[in-house]
Parts: sequence; structure tokens; C-alpha cells
Amino acid sequence: MANIFLDNLVKRFGKQTAVKNLTLEVKDKEFVAILGPSGCGKTTTMNMISGLLKPDSGRVYFDGRDVTDVPPGKRGVGFVFQNYAVFTHMSVYDNIAFGLRIKKFPTEEIEREVRGVAELLKITHLLGVSASKLSINDMQKVALARSMVTKPKIFLLDEPLSNLDAALRNIMRAELKKIQQELGQTTIYVTHDQVEAMSLADRIAVMNFAVLQQYATPHEVYNKPVNLFVARFIGSPTINFFDALYESGRINMIDFKEGKIELSKRYRNQLNSLLKNNELVVGLRPEHLKVSGKKKNYNLKGQVVSFEPLGSKTIVYMHPDNNQGLIIKSAMESDFKPEIGDKLYLDFKESGLYVFDRKSTELVLKF
Amino acid sequence: METKLYVKVLKYLLIVVLALLFLFPIYWMFTMAFKPYAEWTAAGGKIYWVPNHPTFDNFRTIFTRQLRMNPIAGTALRPIVNSLIVSTIGTAIAMIVGTFAAYGISRYKAGGQLPFFLLQLRMFPPIAIIIPIMIMWAFLRMIDTWYGLVVIYGVVTLPFSTWLMKTFFDDIPKELDEAAIVDGCSNFGAFRKVILPLAKGGIASTALFVFILNWSDFLIALVLTDRKWTTIPVHISKLQSALVGQLYGPKAALGVIAIIPPIVFGILIQKYLVRGLTFGAIKK
Amino acid sequence: MASIKLENITKTYKNVKALDDVSIQIEDGEFFCILGPPGAGKTTLLRIIVGLEKPDHGNVYIGDEIVNDLHPSKRDIAMIFQNLALYPDKSIFDNIAFPLRQQKMDEEIIKEKVTEIAKQLKIDWMLDKLPSQLSGGERQRVAIGRAIVREPKAYLMDEPLSNLDALLRLEMRVSLKELQTKLSETFVYVTHDQVEALSMGDRIAILNKGRIQQIDDPERIYKLPKNMFVATVLGSPPMNFLKCRVEVTGGEYRIIHEGFILSVKDKNAIEVIGKMIGNEEGLVLGIRPEDILLHNFGGKERIEAEIYVTEPLGNETIVDVKIASNVIKVLADSSFEGRPGQKIWIEPKKYKFHFFNTKTGDSIFHTKKETKLEIL
Repeated sequence: MANIFLDNLVKRFGKQTAVKNLTLEVKDKEFVAILGPSGCGKTTTMNMISGLLKPDSGRVYFDGRDVTDVPPGKRGVGFVFQNYAVFTHMSVYDNIAFGLRIKKFPTEEIEREVRGVAELLKITHLLGVSASKLSINDMQKVALARSMVTKPKIFLLDEPLSNLDAALRNIMRAELKKIQQELGQTTIYVTHDQVEAMSLADRIAVMNFAVLQQYATPHEVYNKPVNLFVARFIGSPTINFFDALYESGRINMIDFKEGKIELSKRYRNQLNSLLKNNELVVGLRPEHLKVSGKKKNYNLKGQVVSFEPLGSKTIVYMHPDNNQGLIIKSAMESDFKPEIGDKLYLDFKESGLYVFDRKSTELVLKF
Repeated sequence: METKLYVKVLKYLLIVVLALLFLFPIYWMFTMAFKPYAEWTAAGGKIYWVPNHPTFDNFRTIFTRQLRMNPIAGTALRPIVNSLIVSTIGTAIAMIVGTFAAYGISRYKAGGQLPFFLLQLRMFPPIAIIIPIMIMWAFLRMIDTWYGLVVIYGVVTLPFSTWLMKTFFDDIPKELDEAAIVDGCSNFGAFRKVILPLAKGGIASTALFVFILNWSDFLIALVLTDRKWTTIPVHISKLQSALVGQLYGPKAALGVIAIIPPIVFGILIQKYLVRGLTFGAIKK
Repeated sequence: MASIKLENITKTYKNVKALDDVSIQIEDGEFFCILGPPGAGKTTLLRIIVGLEKPDHGNVYIGDEIVNDLHPSKRDIAMIFQNLALYPDKSIFDNIAFPLRQQKMDEEIIKEKVTEIAKQLKIDWMLDKLPSQLSGGERQRVAIGRAIVREPKAYLMDEPLSNLDALLRLEMRVSLKELQTKLSETFVYVTHDQVEALSMGDRIAILNKGRIQQIDDPERIYKLPKNMFVATVLGSPPMNFLKCRVEVTGGEYRIIHEGFILSVKDKNAIEVIGKMIGNEEGLVLGIRPEDILLHNFGGKERIEAEIYVTEPLGNETIVDVKIASNVIKVLADSSFEGRPGQKIWIEPKKYKFHFFNTKTGDSIFHTKKETKLEIL
């Protein structure tokens, strides 16, 4: 069993608080991503879990055992850092075997384990090669192999894919996920790339400015983000935000006064009971905006400013007639080819609406 | 790991001791300059840490012909002027030639390996070559002339000025030259309008360093000058008397005066010794 | 306004060919992207156009003039460097005014032009500040201002957005494209980010290891890649590749993979793949993740597979499926549900196949709606 419990961790650097009262629980065999922009405190959190940093207050528990004062080498964790600490003067085999040799494993067992891991990561053909001759992509695999071979119960990865080129990153993501599912190690993965977090994690811990914003499954952080920050951070292209007012049962978007938004009774009732004040921010994801069939009863109207044909889809950028500063993105089919300056009428379904309280920035309702 | 208190105290103590050691000679020279003859040495059985009867006599001695004891020395006014002239022009030569050369080396790798060899030259102790130089200079009738000294000073400090300026230019990103060129400057224009202003700090500190080297030179000036163009260090060495031996007081007085120009120079260029001139040009 | 032409450009550094026989024709007023991985030679290409480097062979034309020996300061081309190269000791005003002062323009006119540009780029409130006092995005705009104010014949940009954070990059992409449309000037834009190239370029040149792979508009490059490298560079997730054999049995031409067989009935296709029969290397079949449909049951034209891993991205889900010993990626709707190990059937769109030569990587055939193919 390898679960992790972080109890109210706090870490300060001088006057800055890097991590504020973080309480988090990671279940056995779970893959958790700590996601956030640079400076949010994710690496500091990771360093406290690994033991490289001591928290100013709060405790770290592995399997119920308080490991806050245990040095990193004795916690039974495997690390992969962003800048791979691969020993360039040794062969790949020796690199991978390093940890086992230190622990004085017998040679046949070392041989078996090293080859096993090498096969898993498809680097068997590199075992005899000197580590200094490896490409960056292969070095990353060796770094992974090194920490995997000691079969740690807990795996800590700090942006391990950020130095890889885009093509390999795509492939390694799937491989990493598969490997974790097969080996069942409890894994904590730090990243600023929400695509990685979404694709790999069972649950994502979203952090901003030292504070945990939301800790939930990818589906939940995408569909029920707890506030504006999470809604904006997850999802590419990013969600559209509109200032709006709730008046007499209607949502009036300030920049789309002519648009009519029909709300079902059920929706209105829920909104009435949950809303604390009527100043709203309405969120709509690009994929929920569709070209309107009706020239009279549309929701949003604007002018096309730019578009990006991305192959599998086309992102169309437009702004409302009376607010040139507000840019709205919608995701269309790849054969949609607008002209710049075209008028565009868009519709959305009630189920795509995110309603946030403008003052508190918290989510009020999402169907 | 917190530094233990006694380690901290020990460190500070060490610094204080070293500081005292280094500053002491200056203090001694300063007090000596104002001591009357009787207090120069401990011959009377007492060491005077602070002058008992401070006087300007020593200064008067070096500036007027009151030194009847030593007809060779003359007044110190001429050596002071000589030092100023020779050090300034020597520094100017080394800076002008060195800066241009350094730019060429930094940007265009001019000269290949040659500049590196030039620096090795400086490793030669001047004393090894000063006799041949003297003979050459005598042949060229350059002994005891200002240009004789200036040429040597310029040449001898050139490796320093070139190398120091090269490191300063290396720190300025090449993209700035290129941006200036693309914006319409000639190669030289880019150097003059963009890079040189950015190297102000480097030029200032290198010039100060070279000036001090020239100003304090004793050996070269001793060998290459006679009477007309002696510099301050040489003049100090001549301050002796048949009766009394070393004239510590006047020597100290001249020493005090000699400190002033480098300090003034340093103060004047202080505002150019500003750090971080290139911050913001290049994204990291 | 000017066209730019590169004719058979070769540049070697210490025995490595940074550029190998590169020829490009950039039209007047075009937004032309050069896309390639790091080290491909993109920056070298740009530097040769602006004149900071001289090619070992070949000619550079600006307009109709050969400019090989023309000093960069006289080519009237503006360049925005990857690290901006703003003059750190000069105010923003002086930075932007610098090129105009080189042209010995009247100070009054300079003041007018600089303030006008600054207003447009919304940096007029910081004209007396130094670059070090500005944020990354603001410095970017200063660099752009310094280029625009000159009204040059063309603008060269070397990965100008790569150091900005994701949100700002998006904003700048839209503004840059708007700017180019407004100015109608020739833009040559170098990047390693395929999304930037696809979204901004009128045409894209794909560069790898100093050689041009393909020059075309984004749609054609995406739909009809000339080789496997180009096919991988554009599109996220990238195209899937499956190694296959070619066989003919009783007059029937077949493309054979461990997990499925394609029967080829199209005359044009047969002509091309017929040459690969008996060739032990066979060919490579390429298909993009978004061109494959998923089904829970077998049926006509469906291939049996197993779910390897799922990657839910929120707005869509990438499903990695295993066909025999290969794993390929399929783009599915966000509502997709499936567990690893579960059986699944894929239906690739037959008119979106691409065949490549295994050895050279060159494309040999792209299927169209009319191509006759059957999945057995």
C-alpha cells in the first residue's frame, strides 16, 4: 500500500509563502497531477513530498507513517527530474543498475531487473551505449528507467516530458500512462501543461499562488471548475468569459444585448436558489459555440477577426460589434472557411453554460 | 544549516584584522607626512603613532628648494606633472588601441590565436627585458623623453586593456550589433552608437586599472628617464640626504600627494561603473 | 513591399550543411512561415535573407535585385530577433526612433511617426522608460514598433513568440496576423510551433536538416504531405503510421498489415503500389487520428483492436488503440467511455489514407473519395 497524505503543509521563502495550508490525499495506485502556472507552488510541494525541503509547518505521511523528518534517500520514492540526472560517464546499463548496485542486489537479479525495465521502455538496444551519446529523448527514458528499476512504491515526476520534442511527447504520454497502469505505482506528476495533466491523471490538483484551487478528476475540473481560474486554465483553446447580469429570470450578456438566451424553467429555478448576487461571469467553451441556424433567434453575434485552420478543426476568432477588445473563440469543423470581416451568428446550449459569481469568481451553476 | 555564532564572530574578526593590516601602511604614510624630523624614526626611543607636533614642513621641503641637503632632487612639482602627462597619454594609447582591438577580437575573432599569445607577453617580468629596451631607447635617443616613456607604457599595458575590454564586449550580446546593422548602421556605426555606450562601464574600469599601473610604475621610469622626465615613484626614491639618510617625512608627503589623482579619477568615473547596463536587452 | 527569392542557397559550417540547396519564392505581401525542428536551419535562412550571413552558393533576391553583396543596413529589411535585441540603455522612444535616425530623418517627423506607432501598439504611455522596466509582452511590442516604423520592404521574425506564456502567445498571434493583414506587407515568420504556422501562414515552407521538404499553403500540406516528416510535423496528435506489405494474389492487389487487409481496386493506386510487390520493406500506411471512427461492435469495413490507454482532454479524448503489435491514436468525442483491454472496432476513413515509401519516407499515394479500397 502506498498512499500519501499531506496535512496542512506550509512553506515560506523569506516573505513569500510558496505553499499555503495544503492538505491533499493520494490513494494507493493513484496517478495525481499537480498542475498550475509557474510560481504556483507545485515544485515546492513536490520537494516537500520527496524530502528535499522541510515544510515550515504541517506533516507528510506515507502509508500512515510520518515521514516529514525522514531524509529523501530513505523515503522509498523514485524521482524523475526535469533535467534528468543521467550519469554521462557511464553506459546506459550502468546508469540503470546504479541504484540496485548501491543497495547491494545480487548480479543476476540486477541483470533481470535492468533488462526488464529496458524492454518496457524499449531501450534494450541502448544498454551498452555510453550515456553521453544519447539523444535527449533517450536520456529521458534512461532517467525513467533508473528510477523505475528500484521499484519504488511512490513515483515523483517533475515535468519529465518538457524537454522532449512534440512528437515524442505525445507518444511518451501514452506510454507513461500505460506503464503506470501496469505497474500500479502511486504517482505524483508536476506539470504546467494542462493537456498532460488531463490525459494522464486520475485526479488533478490545480494550484495557483500557493493555494490549492481544486482537487478532482479531469472530467470534473473540466466540466465543474470551482472558479474562474480553474475554468480558464483547463481546456485548449481557453474558455470564453462574458460579463453578464441576471435580471428577471434572464441572463443578459453585456456585450451581446441583442442576443436572446432561452433558459429552461429547471435552470432558472436552480439559478435563483444558488445565486447570491446578480453580477455574473458567463463561461462558454469554444466547442459549445455553434453556427446558428436562425438569423433571428441567435445567442451571439459578431465579426470574424481571424481564424486558425488546425487540421482537425478550425478555431474562429470574432468580436462583438460594440466591443472590439473582447475576442471570442469558437471551434468549428475543419472545412469551415470564413472570411475576415464576415458576420457570424452563434448559438449554444444551456448544457454548455458555466455561470460564475463575478465577485467571488466561484462557480454557481453548470448543467 | 545555521552558521554557529562563534564561526560568525571568527569570520568578522578575521576581516577586521586583515583590513587593519592592509590599511595600516596608508595610515602610517599619512601620519608620517605631517611629522617633524624628530618624530620620523624611533631613534629617540619613542614611536609616534600620531604626530605630536604636526607640521607642513615636509610638504614645503618637497615643493621648494629648501632641501639644501640634496641638490639632485629638486622640487617635486616637475615629477608630479610628468607623471600626470605620461600616465594619462599612456593610458589613452592603451585604451584606444585596446578597445578597437578587443571589439575586433570579440566580434570577428580577429587575429585568431594571436591575441592570446599577446597576453602571454605580459607574463614576462619587465625586469627581464628592460635592459634591452634601454639600449634600444638610447640608440633611438628616446631616453628621458615623454614619448619614450609613453610608448612603453602604452605597449606594456596593451595586453591588459585589450583582454579586459574583450571580456566586456563578450558580455554584450551580439544580437545588439546585428539589430543596429539591420536598423541601418554600418558596422562601425553599430560599434559607435550602440556597443560603445554600453561598454562605458568596462571602459571606465579598465582605464582606471591601466592608469594605476602606469602611475605606480617604478622600474621602467627609473631606467628610461634621467632628470627631466622623472616620475613620482622615481623622485621619491631620490629623496635622500648625505647627512640624514632616507627623508621619510618628505617621501611620505609626496606619497600622500601621489594618491590623490587616482582617487579623483575613480570618483569622476564612478557613475560609469554602473552594473547591469545590458539588463533588459535580451530575454533570458 | 517586395518579393523575396532564394535560389539554390547552400551554407556550410564546419563540414555540416546548415542549408542544402534551398530555393524559395516569397510573394510580395505574403505571410510566409518557415517551420521546422530546432537545428533545421531556419535562423540561418533568415540571417541570409537579411544579410548577416553570406551563402556559400546561391543567390538572394529582394524584388528583382540580387543582393548577395549588399550590406544588411542597405537592404531595407526589418528583423525581429528571437531575443528581441532592444537597446538596453536607450529609452523606448529612442529604441523605436533609432532606425529613423540612421536614415537622417528630421527630428520633428521622427517624433510624429514614433508617437503614432506607439499609440497603435498601445505603448505610448511608456515611451520614456527603459526596456528593463517593461514586461515580456510589452518588450515584444516595442520590437515590433521598431520594425514597423521603418516601413521596410519586408519583415523577418525569428520565433518572436516562443518566450511568452501560453495566454499571451495566443493574444499576440491574433494581433500579429491582424497587423500583417492591415499592413499588407511581406512577412517571413520562422517558428518550430506547427499551430503558429498553420494558423498564420499564407504558405508554409517545411525545413528539416537544411533541406526544404515542402512549400505549400497550410491546407495542402496538411492534406497532401510530401513525406513522412511533413506528415508528422503538422497535426496534433500527429499522424499514425503502420508498416504494411504489398501482395498480389490471383490478380487482386492487397496491402497487408498484421491486423487487417486492404484490397486495392483503384487503377491509379494499383499502378503505384504495384512497384512495391515483393519488396520486403513494403510501404507505410498513414492515417490521422481525427480520420478514424470508433465503434463498439464489428461490422463492414471495421478493424478489430484493443484499447491501450485513454487520454481525456476535456473537449475531446485521445484513445490509444492496439492493432496487433502497433499502437495508434484516435481522436474521439469527450463522451467516449472505455477501459484499457476492452475490445473496440475502428473504422478509418478510406479517403484519408496516405501511403509512403518505407525507405525514403516519400509519399506515394493519397487516397481520395473516388479511390476504390476495401477493408477485409
